[in-house]
Amino acid sequence: MPDWLAYVNAHLDRLSLPEAESLQVREELAAHLEDTYLSLRAQGASESEAVRLTCDQVSSWQGLCRDILSARSEAFMENRVSQLWIPGLVTLFSAYVLLALMQFAGLRAMSSHPGEPRGIVLYLPWILSLPLIGAIGAYLSRRAQATGWRVYFAASLPALALGVLFLLISPLAFVLDPHVPLSIKATALAAGLVNWVILPGIALCIGVALQSLRKMRGAHS
Amino acid sequence: MIRTELKRGTAELAILSVLEQQPLHGYEISRRIEQDSAGALRFTLAALYPLLYRMENRGWVRGQWETSDNGRRRRCYKLLPRGRKMLAPLRAEWADLFRAMRRVAKVNHA
Repeated sequence: MPDWLAYVNAHLDRLSLPEAESLQVREELAAHLEDTYLSLRAQGASESEAVRLTCDQVSSWQGLCRDILSARSEAFMENRVSQLWIPGLVTLFSAYVLLALMQFAGLRAMSSHPGEPRGIVLYLPWILSLPLIGAIGAYLSRRAQATGWRVYFAASLPALALGVLFLLISPLAFVLDPHVPLSIKATALAAGLVNWVILPGIALCIGVALQSLRKMRGAHS
Repeated sequence: MIRTELKRGTAELAILSVLEQQPLHGYEISRRIEQDSAGALRFTLAALYPLLYRMENRGWVRGQWETSDNGRRRRCYKLLPRGRKMLAPLRAEWADLFRAMRRVAKVNHA
């Protein structure tokens, strides 16, 4: 009997999937060819006839490769939306609507250097609520079968979005207002990063960790 | 002879229907469909697996490796609740299509 796995490997060399996934696909296709071949032989086909008819199962290996990749990429796109963007937008929206509501209700920020741009500014109730929002984001992301960095990305999107905004705006800050000393600009920028990116990011990631613990305890009980 | 385009459209319903009866691996799915349709529907490997992977991604079916008594490893597909839910609307859709075709093309029942 021909080595069908070797035959598939020789024809599917352009199947650019992750190693483990690619191996599974190849093994599965080879098993199908083997079953087809054995069935043809059992029906009385000669060796060469059975091989020929089995090989006719795939008229274009390039086309098959494209179709498999298309089926897999459809999943990737769907997963990206449900694992990253929907939970990420939920956390983003929740975090900033909550902050706006708190400010509207008269919440004042705690500042280490009141009146100066370089101080640490904390909206303490908001920071304390972020682990809950991060945990909700992690729950939604994990519910869509996400693991690893995807969960953290989705849960910490409010901080990441502001981080990107800071990176985009900071070069402008150094160009504009030439009469403001560079050291003050740099300190204000660093303080802004700590206030709006690093501290919220840590709080959101604590939420992810708490949700992981809760999930693990749920699995053990 | 049923034309290729129509066959392609029937593929999902055919696969879900045979898996509704019992879990099967890819080759068995194609054999069962061929037998049950008296040879009118045939799935080659190239037609079957991209479709199975797509259905698996949508959460309609799940493939799991199993080792048979003779030591062969086969990936067995099982119908999931989401796939079972798809059966009724797909069947209704096809029934509507056949009714419409009977009226338009004056096709009689077999």
